[in-house]
Amino acid sequence: MSSSDIFDVLNIQQKSKSPGSTNSPTPVASSSGTASNRAPKTQVTGMQRELYSLLGENQPPLVVQPSNKFKEKLASISKPSPWTYAPFKANLSVKLHHWVKGSKELVGEEPQESPHSKYNVHLTIPSFSREEYESFMNNAPEEQEKENSAQNDEKNANTDSKTDQDWTFEEADYLFRLCRKYDMRWFVIYDRYSSEKRRTLEDLKETFYKVCKRYFTAKSPDDALLSSLDYPKQKELERKKYLQRLLSRSAAEIAEEEALIIESRKFEMAAKKTLNERESLLRLLDSPNSDQSVSQYLSSQGISQLYGSLLSDKSKKRKHNTNVPENPWMKQQQQFAQQRQQLQQLQDRKHDGQDLASPRKTKKQKQEIQTAIKRKAESVYAEHLLKNFNQEERAALGVVTHGEKLAPGVFLRSTKVSTFKPALQNKVATILQELDLPTRPAMPTSEVMKEHEELLKGIATLVDLKKHLDKLEAEKSIVK
Amino acid sequence: MAPGVSKRIKTLSLTRPIIYGNTAKKFGEVRPPNAPAEHTHLWTIFVRGPQDEDISYLIKKVVFKLHDTYPNATRTVEAPPFELTETGWGEFEINVKIHFVDEANEKMVSFYHHLRLHPYHNVKAEPQAPNDEISSIYYDELVFNEPNEELFKILVSRPGNLLPSNKTDKCIFSKQLEQEEIDRIKIGISKVDNEIEELKAKIAKQLEN
Repeated sequence: MSSSDIFDVLNIQQKSKSPGSTNSPTPVASSSGTASNRAPKTQVTGMQRELYSLLGENQPPLVVQPSNKFKEKLASISKPSPWTYAPFKANLSVKLHHWVKGSKELVGEEPQESPHSKYNVHLTIPSFSREEYESFMNNAPEEQEKENSAQNDEKNANTDSKTDQDWTFEEADYLFRLCRKYDMRWFVIYDRYSSEKRRTLEDLKETFYKVCKRYFTAKSPDDALLSSLDYPKQKELERKKYLQRLLSRSAAEIAEEEALIIESRKFEMAAKKTLNERESLLRLLDSPNSDQSVSQYLSSQGISQLYGSLLSDKSKKRKHNTNVPENPWMKQQQQFAQQRQQLQQLQDRKHDGQDLASPRKTKKQKQEIQTAIKRKAESVYAEHLLKNFNQEERAALGVVTHGEKLAPGVFLRSTKVSTFKPALQNKVATILQELDLPTRPAMPTSEVMKEHEELLKGIATLVDLKKHLDKLEAEKSIVK
Repeated sequence: MAPGVSKRIKTLSLTRPIIYGNTAKKFGEVRPPNAPAEHTHLWTIFVRGPQDEDISYLIKKVVFKLHDTYPNATRTVEAPPFELTETGWGEFEINVKIHFVDEANEKMVSFYHHLRLHPYHNVKAEPQAPNDEISSIYYDELVFNEPNEELFKILVSRPGNLLPSNKTDKCIFSKQLEQEEIDRIKIGISKVDNEIEELKAKIAKQLEN
């Protein structure tokens, strides 16, 4: 919203500096005009700009910065370096032009040799006349035979010698000419080769190398490079066949092959691992006197001896090897415990020296002795209380000196019937029922309870034995 | 509670026999006047000595906790005879709490008694009272282990542990019954022992194979 709108709304007649724009509140689209009008104000942005627009100027709500869409002009001070369109000799006959850096004076008028012409090198392929050909081809037939048999299988030897013979001088010459022409580019040669006889690429190559070899052996038989002219045609054919097969595989075949490769890798890894393990195991087993013969370990005694020595050896090793840090807290605790024990022993010794000269006893033992003594005194007291009653009277009173440590207090005797774990309790109850006996004796007197307890003990043993027997039988059946 | 400061006599225990249970009878021609309409039985629960002797020297009070549906379900009997008569139609567990005299300075003894109104046909050993009266009576012994001296004096002054030597209709719990039970249990023990021997032999055989 421009300030003029606000003025319109507020119904204020505005006196603007820029005439014409007051009546039409349309925002000025072209920034160039305003920019030229108020050049210094175009830079203001943000809050300031809003404030400016409220000042009363008929400014566009957005200040459009003029920007150049094109690449900036190169502001280079240095002079451009001169280039000259100069002629050069590409060939003996052809003359061409190209751009060369440097002024015309520097380059000169003379057509120069191309710097790349030094790479234009041709092979030197031997040439020969008919007579020469005849002579060196027939010169070493024995050698040729030998070579043939060495190079090829016997089966192919005949065919080779035959093909050798059906190459006439004309054809050989033609081949050599082509070789010269196309610089030994065999595929081109093969393509251009036109003869009444069908020749494969390998045939051409073989003949070429053979003729070359003959030629050079005739010229200089001691050349060390002669052996490099051997051409193994059969191997080459095989190689091509393999390549053909490799390239004509289907996608499925490729995938299968890859899977197989992965599988084989896995096998290799596993084998390596087991080998390593076995090695370490053997090392472990061998560690005690491995250099001695095994015969002494063949008897059972020997084996047990070996076992013992192995065990001891292992424990020794472990003691040496374990570098596990000790638990410092444990150590300290042990120390504390030791100290306490020592202190106690010291005190005990003092006491013992005073009381009785008996040998040292553990705390528990002493406690037991003490309670026994106390109990004896108590029972003596109880007996003393009852000394006026004879056996029958005691029975009438229901007085018993049991001399045992039982929880003091009153209880019903029937509540003291032994109970077992729930599962066992059920079994015991069943057996009691089978015996026609109640789980709670009808008259829980001390006599009856004694008998009842014995019965329950017996039943518990019975149940236990039954369980054992069942287990044994089950094991038997499994073994069978 | 009296301040029971007296010492307990260690390694000594005193025993008193006690009988508890209930009798029940169907309403005959005469219904108790204030019995609710659905009630069918008149029953009595009791705690007493084996020969109905006085046990108030030992027992101060007996608290019967009846089923919650009874009004004032907790009934306390503070004087002998320690028994309670009620009417009802169903069986339930009654919680019986025996409180002892203050001198004894003992905690109460609490146990449950199943109120029986109907006869069980499979139980033969149960004594059948005449006139279709159902009874479910148990014998038990209160064992005072390490009683204090006062209780000891009280109990010693009243010999009460002796049972009648022979069964009578009035009191079936006797030396005779005790002996019979011991004999029964002894037979059971011998049977169990026999079975144990057999099993041992079997196990030995199994182990041999």
